[in-house]
Amino acid sequence: MHLLSIIDLVVRFRTHDGTVYAVNGVSLDLDEGEKLGLVGESGCGKSVTNLAVMQLLPKPAGKIEGGQVVFQGQDLLSLDESEMRELRGKEIAMIFQDPMTSLNPVLTIEEQMVETIRAHRRVSKSEARARTLELLNTVGIPQPEARLRNFPHQFSGGMRQRVMIAMALALEPKLLIADEPTTALDVTIQAQVLDLLQRLAAEQGTALILITHDLGVVAGMTKRVNVMYAGFVVESASTPDLFARPRHPYTVGLLHSMPRLDAQPGEPLIPIEGVPPDLRRAPVGCPFAPRCAWRVEKCWTAMPPLDPIDATQEIVTTGPNATHRIACWNPVTPEEAVAARPLRAGFAPAAHPTETVS
Amino acid sequence: MAAQPSPNRDVPGTSNAASGAAPLLQLTDLQMYFPVTSGVLISRHVGDVRAVDGVSLSIQKGETVGLVGESGCGKSTVGRTILRLYRPTGGRIVFQGQDITTAEGSTLRSVRRRMQMIFQDPYASLNPRMTAAGIVSEPLEIHGVGTGRERRQRVRELLATVGLDPDYGDRFPHEFSGGQRQRIGVARALALHPDLIVADEPISALDVSIQAQIINLLERLQGEFGLTYLFIAHDLSVVRHISDRIAVMYLGRLVETATSRELYERPLHPYSVALLSAVPIPDPTIEGRRRRIILTGDVPSPSNPPPGCHFHTRCWLRARLGNPERCVEEQPALREMASGHAVACHFAEEVEGSPEQVLQISGESSGGSVTATAATAATPPAPPAPTQGSLPAGPSAPQRPVPRPRERS
Ligand SMILES: Nc1ncnc2c1ncn2[C@@H]1O[C@H](COP(=O)(O)OP(=O)(O)O)[C@@H](O)[C@H]1O
Ligand SMILES: Nc1ncnc2c1ncn2[C@@H]1O[C@H](COP(=O)(O)OP(=O)(O)O)[C@@H](O)[C@H]1O
Ligand code: SF4
Ligand SMILES: [Mg+2]
Ligand SMILES: [Mg+2]
Repeated sequence: MHLLSIIDLVVRFRTHDGTVYAVNGVSLDLDEGEKLGLVGESGCGKSVTNLAVMQLLPKPAGKIEGGQVVFQGQDLLSLDESEMRELRGKEIAMIFQDPMTSLNPVLTIEEQMVETIRAHRRVSKSEARARTLELLNTVGIPQPEARLRNFPHQFSGGMRQRVMIAMALALEPKLLIADEPTTALDVTIQAQVLDLLQRLAAEQGTALILITHDLGVVAGMTKRVNVMYAGFVVESASTPDLFARPRHPYTVGLLHSMPRLDAQPGEPLIPIEGVPPDLRRAPVGCPFAPRCAWRVEKCWTAMPPLDPIDATQEIVTTGPNATHRIACWNPVTPEEAVAARPLRAGFAPAAHPTETVS
Repeated sequence: MAAQPSPNRDVPGTSNAASGAAPLLQLTDLQMYFPVTSGVLISRHVGDVRAVDGVSLSIQKGETVGLVGESGCGKSTVGRTILRLYRPTGGRIVFQGQDITTAEGSTLRSVRRRMQMIFQDPYASLNPRMTAAGIVSEPLEIHGVGTGRERRQRVRELLATVGLDPDYGDRFPHEFSGGQRQRIGVARALALHPDLIVADEPISALDVSIQAQIINLLERLQGEFGLTYLFIAHDLSVVRHISDRIAVMYLGRLVETATSRELYERPLHPYSVALLSAVPIPDPTIEGRRRRIILTGDVPSPSNPPPGCHFHTRCWLRARLGNPERCVEEQPALREMASGHAVACHFAEEVEGSPEQVLQISGESSGGSVTATAATAATPPAPPAPTQGSLPAGPSAPQRPVPRPRERS
């Protein structure tokens, strides 16, 4: 049994200017202690997927319209709010890009950490305080004793994220979801925070879902990756496999469009043309088709399933031997992945179907 | 090469040494302090935010100079002061041979025609109530360039130049995507044929897949129009890609200037090494072997910077050398260590920067934790401490058998 299974999750937002098709059938499994990266551009449904797991979708607009979320054998979608509250923090914790969204600005760090611990554990105030102190120490807050009485705004961005990590790990959750935890930080502080996350998750055996748009962070922090686009998982593989043999045109595009520190001088960037899709349109066909150099006719009309690259392979969904899967009608070949363009003689991307929508 | 006695002079290595031509822009000991006041009725000057604290840098025509450093180091203030959005509190700005440090009125207006800025946030920097055409046309109107008809024609050309459909000119900013908005900002910056463009984090707010579009656009425009860029960013991989030369800034001062190739292949300031070492690389094999140099703590406040070398409170090299007093007592001058490569560190000879050191890809086998822990990386067990304050700088410094960062794990 997996620690977490998301099965065919569909999440939509009903807003006054229409439906937002935010998550369109996402499935993933996660084992205990596993480190999974969720990568993709902003708006592709990374946060919404995880908010759905936590049942923290903004109400009433955001609704889970299909699928299942199974955590430790329990169907989370059947739990009521008080049962979910019990689970949050204790079993599954989440940290966000902006820690201020989850820290209470009018409570001191001591007050909120003690409260969090005592909400889930039968311990005295002084025990909770001692644990708080120990945690602040672990996450590298200088002079933790003095800092206990500070309010969140009295910490720098990096220090605040450390406090968040301390709170998230206070109850030794089985799963930590880190949503762009370092996106707002300088690289130097990012290195501190990622190092801390890595160390603590390893010590506690916590499973990690790391959400980021930075493929460099994914490479260093995770063992498995799901690449998302427009509310779909479009490529899924072990981290080494994904970087060595990317097969989806979007993944290949991402890898070539960011400058690398270790690139050869003068190496050109190959951007992905066009813009990310508007999720207020119901998905028809492959969502990447309008930007894709590999597209064929079928891409305009049918969404490709997330299938193994090698069709004869039995599907393994977790662990280092996870099956490499892509959702693409015309996979990129290894040579094309290096060149970042189709190399087949006479191939041209299928023309836009005669415009019927305006 | 002898060290400069004082950083308050023209510094070798802060310009492109290969070129003998007069620079397009020359900053000499530029200083921008913002006063800190207290008191409600009578405000008292109680101190200064030393946002820019003696920056000397020159930029040649047609060059791209990257300015990097952590946030709060004063990068934007340098850019804004060059454009004379502030009046510097010290030093000199010479642009196209003209001293513009205190320029005002019509002189300043004419300078501003020749310098433009592109901002980070294409959402905040465009007036939401103006159309794209209105935004691009505005600088032409302010400077009274052309007739209405000519301006409309020019705006269409500019929109096409930056890759926008000229017919979209009557749309408002919110009708464009982030990347398209940044293109509008670029078109506006180009309107008056500027000689220098200060691009302040122009891609930081954009989606990953769009960033490359804008980088490529800026590179193409540079070729077409012979533009000179000061490219400000915190992302060293982007800066390295786009820049000919890079200036690394820490707490109001430049700590290293070099060609972007040199900076990557042989960083000589411990801060540059730490910055390079912190940049994640999208390759799990490299990441798995890296032993990062992790700086402790945050950038100190520029209203009360540490004495001597501003970096000494976080410096891994100083710790490795047994915390010499010299770093606390004496501000290191920016001195040229190789042609076109200047560094402000008393002990730069000890750095031995190399891509291997930065990427930590040699020596160790992979596996285990990705990084050294903050504690061990930043405060390694001190080697037998030499007598404080007695360390001679320069190539003649005795070789100490101290562990290199890569030997720690
Ligand atoms: N409260 C909301 N109301 C309407 N749409 C939303 C809301 N929150 C998110 N969305 C939409 O859902 C989609 C997925 O968003 P999200 O999961 O936040 O993306 P990301 O991958 O950047 O985390 C986006 O198109 C976003 O605009
Ligand atoms: N107009 C201003 N008034 C007072 N302080 C300022 C002003 N602009 C910037 N600062 C301060 O100067 C320092 C450098 O800021 P900035 O140039 O924006 O750094 P960077 O662009 O490197 O992040 C910061 O401490 C900032 O708070
Ligand atoms: S001068 Fe000293 S403190 Fe400053 S960078 Fe060099 S070694 Fe570090
Ligand atoms: Mg998000
Ligand atoms: Mg700035």
